[in-house]
Amino acid sequence: MKSIKALNLPRLDGAGIVLLLTVLILLLLVGLPLLYIVLQAIFPLWSRGDLSGAFTLFVPTLVDPALLKLLGNTLRLGLAVVVACAVLAVPLGALRALTRVPGGAVWDLIFLIPFMIPPYIAALSWMLTLQPRGYAQQLTGIEASQFLFSFYGIVFVMVLNVFPVVYFAVSRTMMSVGGRYASAARVCGAGKWQALWRVTLPLSTPGIAASLLLVFALTIEEFGTPATLGAQAGYHVLVTGIHQRFSDWPIDIPGAAVLSLLLVMLAMAAFYIQHWLVTRRSFISQTGKPTTGERAELGKWKWPVMVFFSAVAFISVAVPLLAVLATALTGTLSGGLTLDNLSLRHFEALFANRGGAMQALGTSLSLAVGAALITGVLGALIGYLVVRAQVRGKGVLDLLSLLPNTLPGVVVAVGLILAWNQSHWPIQVYNTGAMLLLAYACLLLPYPVRYASAAFRQMGESLEAAARVCGAGFVTTFRRILLPTLAPSLLVSMLLVFAIASRELVASLMVAPAGMSTVSTFVFGQFEQGSPGVGMAMSAVAIFTTTALLVGLTAFSRKRLPITS
Amino acid sequence: MFSRLLSRSALVSLTGAALFSLGSQAHAQALTVYSAGPDSLIERLAADFTQQTNIDVNVFQSTTGQLMARLEAERANPLADVVISASWDSATSLSEDGLLHAYQSPNAANVPDFLQADDYVAQGVSALSLVWNKNSDTPPPSDWADLADPVYADQVTMPDPAQSGTAFELVAGLLTATGEDATWSLLEALMDNGMVVPGPNARALNPVLQGAKSVVFGAVDYIALAQQQDGEAIEVIFPESGTVIAPRPMMILASSSLQHEAEQFIDFVLSDQGQQRVAESYLMPARSDIEAQRPTLNELTLIDIDSDAMNEQRGVILERFRELTGG
Repeated sequence: MKSIKALNLPRLDGAGIVLLLTVLILLLLVGLPLLYIVLQAIFPLWSRGDLSGAFTLFVPTLVDPALLKLLGNTLRLGLAVVVACAVLAVPLGALRALTRVPGGAVWDLIFLIPFMIPPYIAALSWMLTLQPRGYAQQLTGIEASQFLFSFYGIVFVMVLNVFPVVYFAVSRTMMSVGGRYASAARVCGAGKWQALWRVTLPLSTPGIAASLLLVFALTIEEFGTPATLGAQAGYHVLVTGIHQRFSDWPIDIPGAAVLSLLLVMLAMAAFYIQHWLVTRRSFISQTGKPTTGERAELGKWKWPVMVFFSAVAFISVAVPLLAVLATALTGTLSGGLTLDNLSLRHFEALFANRGGAMQALGTSLSLAVGAALITGVLGALIGYLVVRAQVRGKGVLDLLSLLPNTLPGVVVAVGLILAWNQSHWPIQVYNTGAMLLLAYACLLLPYPVRYASAAFRQMGESLEAAARVCGAGFVTTFRRILLPTLAPSLLVSMLLVFAIASRELVASLMVAPAGMSTVSTFVFGQFEQGSPGVGMAMSAVAIFTTTALLVGLTAFSRKRLPITS
Repeated sequence: MFSRLLSRSALVSLTGAALFSLGSQAHAQALTVYSAGPDSLIERLAADFTQQTNIDVNVFQSTTGQLMARLEAERANPLADVVISASWDSATSLSEDGLLHAYQSPNAANVPDFLQADDYVAQGVSALSLVWNKNSDTPPPSDWADLADPVYADQVTMPDPAQSGTAFELVAGLLTATGEDATWSLLEALMDNGMVVPGPNARALNPVLQGAKSVVFGAVDYIALAQQQDGEAIEVIFPESGTVIAPRPMMILASSSLQHEAEQFIDFVLSDQGQQRVAESYLMPARSDIEAQRPTLNELTLIDIDSDAMNEQRGVILERFRELTGG
């Protein structure tokens, strides 16, 4: 009983100190970059230390036709990707959840892979495949550069990258709803189709809509695909606009800041609606595991469905991976796909450490591990404080830790540069690897927080109470009960952080210090340098290394890698 | 519980400490070099220099546009010691702003006068060219204006002058040599003929390597010469009516706290060994007494550029180009 008392009173101090520390770290990690962007947007001369002309930039920037075009393009792209994702992934997920698709869980594994291929590499692969004399034309005579370098081409490549988010959300939601509630409807006399239209679909709508909003947010934040295909298509969006204002001479820092704020507001709106949908949904079916209830037999539809699944897998997984390998394994691009042209010289160049390839791989892996550890510790701490601690101010904690969800990578990078690129800081953070770590930790913090708080909520106090009744003290309870229960979800979220951090492009390009490159900046640089072969060899090595690490660790922790929230 | 929380906060503060020690240990002694252009060259130069002098070098390698943008963004807190750009104008502009440290390297004696000033000197020189894919169905072009011919419809790429320092020099050169009207109407004719402007140099070259496009209008020559050496089926053509050269200025920032080391670096790049490295990258060495592995100034027809006038109009020229290409 003593320990319970100790929990109620003195813990306030202990938890209070930890809370304060955590809030400070969060302010440093998340609040500071955002603050500097807001200041820069308000005071155009802020970066030169001048406070004059506050708000003078808003109106001219916001009525600038160039900006309206960027905004319009961004919204159009977001909406088009959402619609296309819905058309592709909802039937795919529904079929997987409600019918016996041959292969079953194998498809889940296959549809995880598009998420592992960095979007800019996928875009480059499609370019090498579909442009005139590309791989497709060399093999089949088909070329589709008109299509690829257009709005629709950009949508096509982006959909292939993000549709798994919707696929997993739809199949998970429908598995639980379709299993239980549809069975209940059938018992009450509903027909198969009636159960689908009247019960399963309406009950699944919030989940599906939430995943589509997530797709919208991911799309308007994405840099790689519009940067790769957009320049040739003449299609520019907010993200590329921000990058260009910030990194082409002469630069326009105030313009970049205003565009950043605009992008943040768009993302916030999407996330707000998504959050509202998800929390509203909580009364349905989210208790317990998805059940594999009664699933329809496909009968004569078996083959058409198989063709559909295989076609999606071929286009979203096989084509980009094969294009990566083809480019990496052919000696010259102009030589094309011939046996004579088969060569390992790009891999040799890579392993001979040309351009610091091995350092880049090492840097990426260690930064990704670092980001996973920092966000893991912070996530566990924040999750515990938000769910369990009886302290004031935990709402701030919750808000700050989920805020990065609405911060696109390019915005975080701009904010970090504005914040740290100052001579008045006692320690120089700008132009060091710490900038990359700060960027990754800020961007990816929401994942561990979300998983940890979910885990703490699920646990219920009864577990701890039962342990104490059996005579365990608090430390024992935490070590033997709470930690083991938390570990799997936390590990999964840290794996996710690792996977995303190891391939992040736009923030890495902007904040990487002199003398340091990551896998993504290396690959990007090789393309800019005119060595696509070496770039693709690196991509192949990186994709296989991270996938192998993830698959290994996931198998080890025996938890499937969830990519939906 | 208390100890648990304490140990956690200890862990967090440790992580924080690690984060910042990572920050503060940075480059106390190392020379920071921002370089445009071939990263293999700057890496070799940096490695050789470190071997010889024991001074570490941190390289930030990018395009001229991004490099200058980074310098501008860092103006309140300058970090670079030495800057090597691919555009002579960028050095002129930095020099006018009083941001450069004046230095005459003893090794610059054999560098021609037009390739050096009080506070900057050329590392090497590249020239602008037409790069043509030999496997394409188009005939080899011989001059800039050829590419407006319908034979080359949808077959031409051009690097973006906003991102590539050398491409800007080409536009500036054409403006000087042929005048406003002729230059803009040529560029307009090229755009009407389906020319695309995908980004900096290599972005324009890559589609020509695979054969998606046939010719690069205004490719920086050394990347293409290196690719040709690696067996790509391309040809580097210097237009009959003349081309522009893009000397690559090296400069020391006045804000650098490592002036002496920076001077040593400049000396090294202009030494026999350094210039040899420059030649190996298919650039023309800045020193006239080092042999090049490619056509040199004497073998090229050159257009003179009125650099000062062009530099003043940089913003206007880029804006007009952007309008033309619909960016």
